[in-house]
Amino acid sequence: MNSPSRAPLIYTGLVMAAVLTVAPFALGLLTSFTSAQQFATGTPLSLPSPPTMENYAALAGAGFGRALAVTALMTAIITIGQLTFSVLAAYAFARLEFPGRDALFWVYMATLMVPATVTVVPLYLMMAQLGLRNTFWALVLPFLFGSPYAIFLLREYFRSIPADLLNAARLDGANTLDVIVHVVIPASKPILATLTLITVVSQWNSFMWPLVITSGGRWRVLTVATAGLQSQYNAQWTLVMAATTVAIVPLVMLFVVFQRHLVRSIVVTGLK
Amino acid sequence: MIEATRGRIRSTLLGYGLLAPSLFGVVCFLLLPMLVVVWLSLHRWDLLGPIRYVGLDNWRSVLTDPSFGNSQLVTLLFIAIVVPAQVVLGLAAATMLARGLPGTGLFRALYVIPWICSPLAVAVLWRWILAPTDGAVSTVLGRRIEWLTDPGLALPVVSAVTVWTNVGYVALFFLAGILAIPPSIHAAARIDGATSWQRFWRITLPMLRPTFFFVSVTGVVSAAQVFDTVYALTGGGPAGRTDLVAHRIYAEAFGSAAIGRAAVMAMVLFIILVGVTVVQHLYFRRRISYELS
Repeated sequence: MNSPSRAPLIYTGLVMAAVLTVAPFALGLLTSFTSAQQFATGTPLSLPSPPTMENYAALAGAGFGRALAVTALMTAIITIGQLTFSVLAAYAFARLEFPGRDALFWVYMATLMVPATVTVVPLYLMMAQLGLRNTFWALVLPFLFGSPYAIFLLREYFRSIPADLLNAARLDGANTLDVIVHVVIPASKPILATLTLITVVSQWNSFMWPLVITSGGRWRVLTVATAGLQSQYNAQWTLVMAATTVAIVPLVMLFVVFQRHLVRSIVVTGLK
Repeated sequence: MIEATRGRIRSTLLGYGLLAPSLFGVVCFLLLPMLVVVWLSLHRWDLLGPIRYVGLDNWRSVLTDPSFGNSQLVTLLFIAIVVPAQVVLGLAAATMLARGLPGTGLFRALYVIPWICSPLAVAVLWRWILAPTDGAVSTVLGRRIEWLTDPGLALPVVSAVTVWTNVGYVALFFLAGILAIPPSIHAAARIDGATSWQRFWRITLPMLRPTFFFVSVTGVVSAAQVFDTVYALTGGGPAGRTDLVAHRIYAEAFGSAAIGRAAVMAMVLFIILVGVTVVQHLYFRRRISYELS
């Protein structure tokens, strides 16, 4: 379908776009291994000689180890909670008959229109009234109990599972929870993998809510710590680039491993 | 008969039992906040002291506040730059990827990386790259340019960073759209003597209309809420030139401790976004499918 003569032109375009995409990351990564002295004296773009870990050591001293742990824990707990409770809800919506089901489903779907930016201010008040400001609970509670969007996607998927499969399990004496764990979940691996990836990415990167609800070093997440470092040590770019590297690299690694799946999931879900 | 009733009761209990956790979440963290934000918009609170009822004072002061007017204007400009730019560049990238040349998968994956990364970290990275004295761009160009503090440059630069982040993501949708066009249509046009340029304009673009609409509407909704990028790049400056609405809400609530006013701004943003979504649904209902007979 292609005229082969045009291939070099297309490759040129593809490579130029790739360079534009990758260069900022590469420069930041190099700078994070450059000593502050070399950065100040040499040209900022020269290769680190010798490469140094001093910026990462300084980050560890600035409490980044804890921030990394808090971020990982927050991401893990929210992802597990969201998937578990979304699966239960989606099963009820997809496979059970009870009064009020469809009305409730539409309420869930209506909440898709509620943007996070709008709920930050009232959620802050609610957490303050409960005395939960600057606690781990405040970080995870608002996102723990499932997401309407995940429920929507899972419901679509669960509806396509053949009824015979579920009935067979039930005839063998399985209760609903058994059916969900042993039949529904194994049959829904692709969509569950998709949702896991999307949830991990969005929670790992979340910034505005942790920024407003936590203060000080105790429950600081990576994004907040990075922002704080930048405003505190504005000119120490080698240190700041080490911080951005710590915030970015785990997700890029996750992306490289699950690349094929993730690219497809983005198109399937169409949502961040 | 009794058996059937008992079955229905059991299934109802089971249904609500399974829904209980997510229902709790939806009610407490999505529906209740929407009521609280309305309530807050009628009160004055400074984050610490008592909460006082002030009627429509916040509404009056916000709707006549030039800084909120400025934020809406800046956000509108930002959307007007970001959405068309990322749609055009995303389409361009997708057309190159759709050729299916060897190595395409690698390029496609590379382009999505900025979108996977934390917008905050990406903005901090760009803040260094654009730093006037020791930043990468100044070093390469050999001259000092105030990318982020020049009143004329700041908003275009913040927009450019946002576009850079999103292009690969937008390209994925166009790529899916292009690959979904039946090859037979192109083949038929080629037999009729259509050049590749004509086929692009007469076949590919019209067939991509639903994709255009999807990426534009989701692009508007997400651009209207950009916060992290502005927070790290400019803090809304210089002189409010990049003070997007989401950043204004944050600054009002947690910078000026004017929670009631921030609640009003949040409601205005919500109403506008719901408007956009409703328009989207009306549009999609009208042109949902293409007849290929």
